[in-house]
Amino acid sequence: MTSTRDLENLLRQSIEGNTDAFEQLYNATSAKLFGIVLRILRNRAESEDALQDIYVRIWQKAGDFEPGRASIITWMATIARNRAIDIVRRQRPEADIEDADIETLISPGSAFDQMAVADEMRQLDHCLNDLEDDRQQIVKLAYIEGWSRAELAERFAQPVGTIKTWLHRSLRQLKECLGT
Amino acid sequence: MTDRDDIDMLAAEYVLGTLEPAQRQSVETRRSHEPELDRAISDWEARLSPLNTHYDAVAPSRDLFAGIRARIEGAAQATRQAASQHVPGVVEFAKLKRRLAVWRAGALGAAAIAASLIVVVLSGDLNSPVQNGQFVAVFHRDDTQPAFVMSVDLETREVTIRPVEATVPEGKTYQLWIVTEETGPKPKSLGLLENIANPTTKQLGGFDPAMLRNATFGISLEPEGGSPTGQPTGPAIHGRLISVAQ
Repeated sequence: MTSTRDLENLLRQSIEGNTDAFEQLYNATSAKLFGIVLRILRNRAESEDALQDIYVRIWQKAGDFEPGRASIITWMATIARNRAIDIVRRQRPEADIEDADIETLISPGSAFDQMAVADEMRQLDHCLNDLEDDRQQIVKLAYIEGWSRAELAERFAQPVGTIKTWLHRSLRQLKECLGT
Repeated sequence: MTDRDDIDMLAAEYVLGTLEPAQRQSVETRRSHEPELDRAISDWEARLSPLNTHYDAVAPSRDLFAGIRARIEGAAQATRQAASQHVPGVVEFAKLKRRLAVWRAGALGAAAIAASLIVVVLSGDLNSPVQNGQFVAVFHRDDTQPAFVMSVDLETREVTIRPVEATVPEGKTYQLWIVTEETGPKPKSLGLLENIANPTTKQLGGFDPAMLRNATFGISLEPEGGSPTGQPTGPAIHGRLISVAQ
């Protein structure tokens, strides 16, 4: 298992132009990032194209990484998720989703567990559990699956404006619960 | 609802991913010059990132990295070529750029850069004499492709901006800005880059060389005729000044 420090060292060498170090960084992290992109884009070929863009971007932005602000894997995951969301939002801005089974979509994963987020996850889980069931689900579907407001509106048979209100209330409640 | 709450909810939905494409784009543009929004986004990323534990790892196809390697090596070469073509003597351009990143990662709180208005411009070597210095900066579009290369001759106080891949949307114009300690926190316009097919040269005789050296430069996209407010209004691209070895 590659430690966070190993990953940071590989990134540092990448900043100096070492493409072999960058390949090692890719090997250690690409399955995690691919899991994110695939989950949101739900198309393998498209996700692989996106993954290539994401690593080119990580290479270019490597100098922006600030240890201490976020873990390296969180930083990389944010870049990957943002890219996937950008793509999916441009592609299907309107509701166009199959009647997917929410329970199977939100499967508990463990890919990031080694990254010392267990405590934070416990706290966030606790706060999510305080939300009403459907509010909890819209937050998770939006974040994890990349659903738009329109898709959520269709799924929960509510006007888009109501979904926005639910989202804002849920997010405020989460923020308060997390106390950050 | 307060403005602060609006910003917080905008940041929250940006991180959650539920904004429409145009709103997402606008947030990305705004965060580069709105520290409060940028901070709110970082805070929400920290709050929600534990949800990343829900993603399972899935191995992508083998050999995907070959394509990435080709692109990063190709891009470095293209940047080098563009730079050497336009700025004689700057053959090691991509290397310089990466060296700057190393220096910046180690020496300066990058948060300050991220939060700054258009991005701090500094030379790579803080101890070299100011005189006779040639400095260059690469301006990136979306932080991915170089759109402009700027060179500064501190001796003649001349700034030259050369387009690399810049195009101008219809009805828009690029505007050059500077921020220095003496002129205060607000960007000061250095004028428009009207014909970006050709290099634009600006005489900065009014600025002290030492001040220029530590100045912040930015290029923003503005309505035709320039910013209506006297401050950057459109998407800004940023450049980081690098000392060119003599």
